[in-house]
Amino acid sequence: MRRSVLFVVFMVFVMGLVWSQSGYSANTIKVGIVDTYSGPATTYTQDALDGFKLATEQINAKGGILGKKLEYTTRDEKFKPDIGLAMAKELVLKEKVDILAGTINSGTALAVSDFAKKEKMPFFVFYSKSEKIIGEKGHKYVFNMNENTEMAGRAAAVALSKKPYVKYWIAGDDYEYGHAIADATWNNLKKMKAGVQLLGQSWWKVGEADFTPYITQILAAKPDFIIVATGGSGMVNFQKAAKATGLVQKIPFYQHTANELGTLLPQGKDAPEGVWGTSNYFFYYPETPANKAFVDDFRKAFNRYPKASALVGFMTAQFIAEGYKKAGKIDNEAFIKAIEGMSLDSPVGPLAIRACDHQLELPTYWGVTKKDPKYDFLISGDIQVIAPKDYMPTCQDVLKLRK
Amino acid sequence: MDVTGVLNQVFVGLSRTVILFIVSSGLSLILGVLRIPNVAHGSLYMIGAFMAFTLSKLFGGGDMGFWMALIGAPLAVALISLVAERGIFQYLYEREHLMLILLTFAFSLVFGDLVKIVWGGEYKSVPVPYMFQGFIPLIGGLPFPLYNLFLLVCGPIIAILLWLLVNKTKIGKIARAAAVDMEMVGAVGINVSWVFASVFVIGCLLAGLGGVLVAPTVSVTLGMDHTLIIEAFLIVIMGGLGNIWGALLGALIFGLSQSLGILIWPQFGIIFPYLAVVIVLIFRPTGLLKATW
Repeated sequence: MRRSVLFVVFMVFVMGLVWSQSGYSANTIKVGIVDTYSGPATTYTQDALDGFKLATEQINAKGGILGKKLEYTTRDEKFKPDIGLAMAKELVLKEKVDILAGTINSGTALAVSDFAKKEKMPFFVFYSKSEKIIGEKGHKYVFNMNENTEMAGRAAAVALSKKPYVKYWIAGDDYEYGHAIADATWNNLKKMKAGVQLLGQSWWKVGEADFTPYITQILAAKPDFIIVATGGSGMVNFQKAAKATGLVQKIPFYQHTANELGTLLPQGKDAPEGVWGTSNYFFYYPETPANKAFVDDFRKAFNRYPKASALVGFMTAQFIAEGYKKAGKIDNEAFIKAIEGMSLDSPVGPLAIRACDHQLELPTYWGVTKKDPKYDFLISGDIQVIAPKDYMPTCQDVLKLRK
Repeated sequence: MDVTGVLNQVFVGLSRTVILFIVSSGLSLILGVLRIPNVAHGSLYMIGAFMAFTLSKLFGGGDMGFWMALIGAPLAVALISLVAERGIFQYLYEREHLMLILLTFAFSLVFGDLVKIVWGGEYKSVPVPYMFQGFIPLIGGLPFPLYNLFLLVCGPIIAILLWLLVNKTKIGKIARAAAVDMEMVGAVGINVSWVFASVFVIGCLLAGLGGVLVAPTVSVTLGMDHTLIIEAFLIVIMGGLGNIWGALLGALIFGLSQSLGILIWPQFGIIFPYLAVVIVLIFRPTGLLKATW
């Protein structure tokens, strides 16, 4: 009897471990995409892939790259770095891809990046947020196509430093991303604004279902502002709890990507108004012909509005195409040289890949959630553009991390 | 830390307990009578939540949608479990626990992929019904969501219904007898197979019900089954395998240690329920109440 209890306990923990995660013709340029296409991350990865797909179709319709067609093949790494690495190896050795791309999982991104470095093969990171990708573990062959936690935190700190709040509280998902976002925001805010104080912190487990006990505790502590470092489904869960408890009317709070479509769309009109957030792309802002064309094409192809990750996939394919065109040949070293410092028109205006650290220089949009009669979900209001030069770490800062 | 703060956290913790109790009592029922450690129980909870999303949308998303989901989604989950039980589980009751764990684990993976095929990978959100939107001030003016109050009402009702089912109905009596000695029950001419099927379906229905009730407070997403099933197993183990009142006690300890732990040490509030499990198992390795195993 006792043994069977122990056995069940053992099996439950084993399962916890298991779960803690969830050749073509030579006349093509082939991109191997490793990403998470099962589990909750799909909401972001599918848009990155579809953005890439849309750009690929447009590039091929215009005659391809140096007379070759752009092609891609995908692998589902199920949010597991070891599987992701094995798949990247298989793509390179068996499928003979020319370039690697993908992954929302920072662990996979770092593993594949290390492999790409050994293979001397360019690797474009889609949607992993770890600062290490171009920082500590950065190298010549890796490119980061979205913001990382340090960038998001600095952008938020820039905006928050202009606000009158003094007493802060930090709350978040207890995993690397949550802590990284919170640390980046808080450490930069402390530098930018003297006198801010941290009243306390709350950390809950990833996938926490009910935030009410945490929120009532924070309300009792009466901070001026809360930095909420949630990711994935925690974004929506926290907003729902903030609405149900009335937190949003009592204490303002910030979440990175709070005002992004991925967080607001699933909640429909029930999302709370007045939540501060940062995002790198909105389909409704800026209202330029370029953005409108991208949104129209995306909607025509996939029948939905593009999220921030769609821009990442879309631009990655374009940089690949233009990089090879500029290099004039299919050669990795020439390609990297061509793409360093390259600037391309994008739906959000010209975007450049910084030569020193291979980071895409994205603008960040600070804003607050609000209802809009045009849509049956909330959008970002009071949009304030934070330009790359105002919030990106300097080349010197990043390269210092690599030593 | 004052008295009002503690009282608030107790109320909030109790509403969390309700969901945990509903789901883990179903798990415990199946464990106790059928001896199946049903790892796919969490998947049924997830399916319940996704069903709630679909039904709530189908009926206009308002109050009507919520009540229809509350009735319809658990029934749909019950139907799925009936098919699974008649199709597969009924042939496997005599097998090793290890095999059953592997089988139900496989089911959880299959259900996970099915949910992705049917509903896609996007987060879904079930709105809080209009009548339960907003909050009331508790002692000291801290807000308590109306929906959590509704959960606090649901908990005792379900506990009483379960008690009536197990103690006052014929099927409950047969099920309890079958849990002790299945062969003997069969020998007196009772169709044990159908009794087992009913118990399995009722247990799964509870998982679905938990899924519906939790849906308005969270984002309905793939993977919501994983965290819950581990918590549910810990609760069942802590309470005593197969004992429904053990599940209630376990859920109370789990929910309250979490909400009160946050009050003591918000930064590490996460560890308190697990600490409680460790302490209970050190002193009562077979669980707090009498296990039926």
